[in-house]
Amino acid sequence: MRETDDYHNAQKTFHRNKTVTVLFLCIAVFLGLIVRLVYLMVFQSEHYMQKAKELHERERVIKAARGRIIDANGEILADNRTVCTISVIHNQIENADEVVAVLSKELDLSEEYVRKRVEKYTSIEKIKSNVDKSVGDIIRSYELAGVKVDEDFKRYYPYDSLASKVLGFTGGDNQGIIGLEVIYEEYLKGEAGTILTVTDAKGVEVPEAGEERIEPVNGKDLYISLDRNIQSYATQLALQTMETKQAESVSIIVMNPQNGELMAMTNVPEFDLNNPYTLPEELGEADLSAEKEQELLNAMWRNGCINDTYEPGSTFKTVTAAAALEEGVVTVDDSFSCPGYVMVGDRRIRCHKIAGHGAQNFVQATMNSCNPVFVTVGLRLGVDNFYKYFRQFGLLDKTGIDLPGEAGTIMHKKENIGQVELATISFGQSFQITPIQLAVTAASIVNGGKRVTPHFGVRVANADGTGSQSFTYQVREGTISEETSATMRYMLEQVVENGGGKNAYIEGRRIGGKTATSQTLPRGSGKYIASFMGFAPADDPQVLAICIINHPQGTYYGGQIAAPVIKQLFENILPYLEE
Amino acid sequence: MAERVLAHRKSNKANGIGTYMDYSLLFIVIFLLGFGLVMLYSTSSYEANLTFDGDSAWYFRKQLWATILGVVVMLTVANIPYHFWERFAVLGYLVTIVLILLIIPFGRESHGAKRWLIIAGVSFQPAEAAKLCMILFLSSMICSMGKRIRTRKGFYMVMAIPVPIALMLWRITRNMSSAIIVMGIAALMLFVSCPDYKRFVLLGLAALVGAALLVFVIVRMADAGADELNFRGARILAWLDPEAYASGTGFQTLQGLYAIGSGGILGKGLGASKQKLGFLPEAQNDMIFSVICEELGLFGAIAVILMFIMLIWRFMVIANNAPDLFGALLVVGVLGHIAIQVILNIAVVTNTIPNTGISLPFISYGGTSVMFLLIEIGLVLSVAKGIHLKDL
Repeated sequence: MRETDDYHNAQKTFHRNKTVTVLFLCIAVFLGLIVRLVYLMVFQSEHYMQKAKELHERERVIKAARGRIIDANGEILADNRTVCTISVIHNQIENADEVVAVLSKELDLSEEYVRKRVEKYTSIEKIKSNVDKSVGDIIRSYELAGVKVDEDFKRYYPYDSLASKVLGFTGGDNQGIIGLEVIYEEYLKGEAGTILTVTDAKGVEVPEAGEERIEPVNGKDLYISLDRNIQSYATQLALQTMETKQAESVSIIVMNPQNGELMAMTNVPEFDLNNPYTLPEELGEADLSAEKEQELLNAMWRNGCINDTYEPGSTFKTVTAAAALEEGVVTVDDSFSCPGYVMVGDRRIRCHKIAGHGAQNFVQATMNSCNPVFVTVGLRLGVDNFYKYFRQFGLLDKTGIDLPGEAGTIMHKKENIGQVELATISFGQSFQITPIQLAVTAASIVNGGKRVTPHFGVRVANADGTGSQSFTYQVREGTISEETSATMRYMLEQVVENGGGKNAYIEGRRIGGKTATSQTLPRGSGKYIASFMGFAPADDPQVLAICIINHPQGTYYGGQIAAPVIKQLFENILPYLEE
Repeated sequence: MAERVLAHRKSNKANGIGTYMDYSLLFIVIFLLGFGLVMLYSTSSYEANLTFDGDSAWYFRKQLWATILGVVVMLTVANIPYHFWERFAVLGYLVTIVLILLIIPFGRESHGAKRWLIIAGVSFQPAEAAKLCMILFLSSMICSMGKRIRTRKGFYMVMAIPVPIALMLWRITRNMSSAIIVMGIAALMLFVSCPDYKRFVLLGLAALVGAALLVFVIVRMADAGADELNFRGARILAWLDPEAYASGTGFQTLQGLYAIGSGGILGKGLGASKQKLGFLPEAQNDMIFSVICEELGLFGAIAVILMFIMLIWRFMVIANNAPDLFGALLVVGVLGHIAIQVILNIAVVTNTIPNTGISLPFISYGGTSVMFLLIEIGLVLSVAKGIHLKDL
């Protein structure tokens, strides 16, 4: 026991001290590690927690149902249809052969195509989208491990081509591409929801972890002033006219002149909203370049009533007359004489009646749509006044319609307007406006001087009717006085009863209107635009309609081919509107 | 010190002589083993369920058997006077060398390193045996050296003893952490048996400066665009910025940090770890501490560290009351082994030092590890038994 004795005597003290030192060294190191842990678990906790969450959760988007578009009578014009997206999750597939067999059979796809996707090592692989719900249900009933059937919404237009250029359509992500679908996107689209599922490292869902669901907020329904019956009838008429007159296109606008609500707007040919990328057969040749095809599609989708401008021609005489009456440079009883032409400077401007209209008062000149008289009146107004009224009527601004891509007015600069330009402007030539601009301007002339904002959107509301929110539109009063407006109504009624617009006359109805025939540029091409603007009842206009026939064959006078269209329209819709 | 020991006193009524059984130590060890098994099941069940066809208790069961066997062995060793083992010191040292060499032809490879030997159907890591044998051999040697240990020659001699084994562990089994632990045990035992401090402070400083220099050189090499950095060099770069090496060398570290960080102060609750669902490689093994952090939070992590501090404190108490130098050194060796391994493991998991594979004593999965640790605890308990109350 010598060793033990030694140990007990001399060495024990320093051994003990050293062991205690070791203990404290260890404690010091452990304290350092605790500090490190506090740093990681308290100060860095949020950062790592977020990173880990991103790693663990798989996000699946639940699409929000897009709001419907509903017409004035509650008819649904744009709806959603449930379609399915079929996808496979590689790691969850148990019987790959069976999956391939079933999917290729039910989805009518080649086995190779499906196999390639089934065997691809990705977390989730889409096999087919836009599958009918019935097919999706069949696939679901097989209960195949690793096959996912997700329901989705697809935009559906029950009336196919009805009001196609107004409603517009949606793209692959359910976003509006043209028309009202674009303008009211923020209300219609809603907010997508998400399903967050916790997965393990292989992407397999962890059942007990549950899933976090953020419910989608469905889009709001859009209620519009468009009336399916009127739209449908207007479209029919336009198509019929296009066919019989062999015109290039026909546009009809039906508006409430008192508040700017649009009841119909058609531009035939329309296109199928459920197949917006299918060109008409005569154009859809197989070997089109992508660029050319897009060009043709854009042309097909174009809403001529607002996207294109034209020379309004004689319908614009309403503006000249209203401005001249308001300014007091002419009265209804002023007498004029038309020799068949008028000299402006050294230019000779002809009347459409080569022999001339002879002696006539201003009302008769309007009924006759006499160019020399309107040139005279326009010159009396002068450039400054004319421009003043242009501005006052709002002709230099856009109408503010709730459709995308409204074209602006193409007008001479004020300093460039000479006598000749002024003369041509007086009867609606040498400048261009959109049809909707003409409609709104005519409306303000006959409605007592109110410049309304043309629109379709009336209100939005949730599908269950709650959360209704109405839109208000600007109405600017005082473009002309009520007195002038009354005079204009009287004169325009005369046009229909006894003048150039008599083809729009309906027995027992008070219709006002104005015809127009304008040659398209370049002059001498032999192409014309025939148009007619009409409103009823003439003493208190509740409906105003414009018909524009582009490039008709044969007879091209507005009074002969456009006025009867409005007549037919009014014959049908006036009794309907009175109901 | 006497009061503390008296508190744990157990009188041997048959002999009438007071002998000492350290129940505090026993309790701490049993607590750690039980806690380890719970955490092991929590950590490994999901993956076991996938890997072993629905057998979620696969790892747990293997570990449970190793633990039960280990406890039996521990109690046996505790009842054998520790001097019995002194005669095997040299033999143990040689057998260790042979076992490590046997790995070259017969070793089983896993994770790109040969570390296991299969003996009678049981896989076994020679590295674990090496640590125990080193403690035994050095204790015996330092005792026989007596005061010669204080000479420069004695110092270098003791430091040289573990070098061949450490080198073999490093080069043959590609197990640098075990090599570090073997060297660390030797350094600590030497520290306790020499009276001076100066040499050790210098040694520690030299090690620190060397490590810093190495890191500096590797970073400069990486900046210069050197491609031939080996995987240890890459580990150091990944240590400095794990997010930049997220898909490669830094992956495990970063996944561990996600687990630790997302535990927060109170943790997600036992069993609620997400990182164990296959995201964190070696979750039940070297990285189990990060799952403890994720499930039990900062409180749980600190509680585990406190348990280890208490364990080390008990070792210190026993070492300082050991009947002789040999016993004291045995306990100091075991203390060194466990302390170094715990510190390195937690430091690796928290990315305080570069990643090196090292398990958490009593808690990580590993049958060999828990067996040898329990043998070591048995030795310590045996030393504690040798404390005669009259000596105090």
